Amino acid sequence: MASARPLPLFAGIIKDSFLAGLIAALLAMPLLGLRLVDSVQGLSLDTRFNWVLIAGIVVFLGRLCLALAGVFLGQRKERRGVAPRTASRTAKQNSWRVVMGWVLILGALILPMLPFAERNLIDKATLLLIYVMLGWGLNIVVGLAGLLDLGYVAFYAMGAYSYALLSQAFDLSFWACLPVAGLLAAWLGMSLGFPVLRLRGDYLAIVTLGFGEIIRVVLLNWADVTGGPNGLTGIQRPSFFGLPFSASNAKGTTFHEFFGLDFSPDHRVVFLYYVILVLALLTNLFVLRIRRLPIGRAWEALREDETACRSLGINPTTTKLSAFSLGAMFAGFAGSFFATRQGFISPESFTFMESAIIVAIVVLGGMGSQVGTVLAAFLLVGLPEWFRDLQQFRMLAFGGAMVLIMLWRPRGLLSNREPTIRLHKNASPDDATEGESAS
Amino acid sequence: MNKPYRLPLLTVEHLTMRFGGLVAVSDLSFIAHRGEITAIIGPNGAGKTTLFNCLTGFYRPTVGRLSYTPDDRRTFYLERMEGFRTAKEAGVARTFQNIRLFSGMSVLENLIVAQHNTLMRASCFSLAGLFKLSRYSRAEREAVDLACYWLDKVGLTAQADWSAGNLPYGSQRRLEIARAMCTRPGLLCLDEPAAGLNPRESLELNELLLDIRREHKIGLLLIEHDMSVVMQISDHVVVLDHGAKIAEGDPACVRADPAVIHAYLGTPDDEDLPEDLHPQAAAAAPKEGSQC
Repeated sequence: MASARPLPLFAGIIKDSFLAGLIAALLAMPLLGLRLVDSVQGLSLDTRFNWVLIAGIVVFLGRLCLALAGVFLGQRKERRGVAPRTASRTAKQNSWRVVMGWVLILGALILPMLPFAERNLIDKATLLLIYVMLGWGLNIVVGLAGLLDLGYVAFYAMGAYSYALLSQAFDLSFWACLPVAGLLAAWLGMSLGFPVLRLRGDYLAIVTLGFGEIIRVVLLNWADVTGGPNGLTGIQRPSFFGLPFSASNAKGTTFHEFFGLDFSPDHRVVFLYYVILVLALLTNLFVLRIRRLPIGRAWEALREDETACRSLGINPTTTKLSAFSLGAMFAGFAGSFFATRQGFISPESFTFMESAIIVAIVVLGGMGSQVGTVLAAFLLVGLPEWFRDLQQFRMLAFGGAMVLIMLWRPRGLLSNREPTIRLHKNASPDDATEGESAS
Repeated sequence: MNKPYRLPLLTVEHLTMRFGGLVAVSDLSFIAHRGEITAIIGPNGAGKTTLFNCLTGFYRPTVGRLSYTPDDRRTFYLERMEGFRTAKEAGVARTFQNIRLFSGMSVLENLIVAQHNTLMRASCFSLAGLFKLSRYSRAEREAVDLACYWLDKVGLTAQADWSAGNLPYGSQRRLEIARAMCTRPGLLCLDEPAAGLNPRESLELNELLLDIRREHKIGLLLIEHDMSVVMQISDHVVVLDHGAKIAEGDPACVRADPAVIHAYLGTPDDEDLPEDLHPQAAAAAPKEGSQC
């Protein structure tokens, strides 16, 4: 194709790239070209036109490379004959995804033992895992049941405050409070679910958004119980089967004394990392398994067509409520972990921004995809954490990445859905391994 | 004309459905028998789909009784039942005029979802499945067997792992019937199953419906515009127009009914009207409903 009429094609590409560069330069003019300088004389405007030029050239070259790569790849594809998306190809993709899942799990398991793993890295990985767990939990509600929930952070807050208040009032340990916090969050999920059962799509999103804000405002103003804007401090830290991670313990032995180690604050960091890893993996296991069960299939059916579900005798009320409350339960677990890790919670941590990030993780990862959620959590939470130095460009990069991904992968990073049950095993030989490792 | 062995399955008595000032179905009464195919026909807007929606719990009728007797022991009053309960407890399954499959899910999954209630009971609301108990895997195997039986019936075994939305139109229609049958219904309500099918597919559909009637001894209620389907397979035909019954009887008899011809083709000018098709006959019909 290119060899037949090379000139017009390349001229077109160059023209296109030039236009892209021009637009980039125009956009960069106000964004990069002008800068307010705060000096003794007051505010003055500083110009940086070389930045504008660089931006334009970068976009021009990038566009050019992209177009040329497209031409060459297109030629190669033509020569081979365009392979249709067959079952075996998707099966191969899926087995690749399973392998990647295992690699990620193994990597996460040995991460604290690696030589370059310092406290900072483990801390960031712990934060990332909290979001991964929240993403997996929200996947039940948004990805499987198709109920867009923008107030998920309310359940996260419920879990955190439940643990903090229970441990302070009754002196209960983290492990005793964890299930209670989960159940309380599930109960909250159910009580939110009841009034909004009839709502769908945008309307549901608006109501859940309002609900999330209500919870935050309540936490902010119910100062007698929640401490109001000051939050709750001195939340009990988790112990290793009753052995606290402290330098000394008046009541008994501490973790390092029991195991005959030198005291190091890193012990607790690593322990917390493993706790959230186990919690997240349990969430993952639960979601993977429940997808293959009647209730999970009913959620997906409800997402596809509620009317058809009713005609098949599926009770939409209980099905939706179970999705809501189970999703909320995992947020509750994550919330109580968050509280015990921080030792301090306040309504600041449960703003709408958190909900938006969790929903973005689920949508970006591909609705219902487990590995996709991890990748998206890494992109949206991990990368901004690592590149804190470039803070002023953070939101710019965030928005840019969102736009790019929605252009490139409008249905999420990993979006193709694998059936929960197959009739023809031989059609795709890779399925046997997929079935074993996924469950 | 009621032969002694014809047992009533569904008795519709004085069914009326009003939407504000609009009367979609008015004072409709008929009986559908067990093991028979009852066709409901009528021009567009005659109230056929409204009748189905009343039967399957999507609408609550304004007036009337819908008694459903799947066997000699049980009677359900469908007008009192909530939407999903008619399918879950009474066993009334339906298909839709515009196909409503779970198009993102695979063909097999569509049929497994249809057995939701059986599987939920078997798995103690999914708990047994969560802990991988054997009773759930047994129940799931049985569900797959039933699904395979129906896949075989509708000729979709090879496409079992396709996503349902990728099937051709005719196969989607058949899959929807198979899905409804997977709920093990006592009454199957089909809303225009032959719409959009070519003549060959339409013949296959006839065979499928006759086969369901023969082997499963359930009642079928059929809304259809394709007269070749109606005339060939139905045992009993009810004709609606403007929400009221204008004729009822076996297919041949209904075809000859002047009121039916009037409703479908309109009345020619009075002067060239044959004796037996005089407007008076047609005018009297909507009130009573002519019986053959």
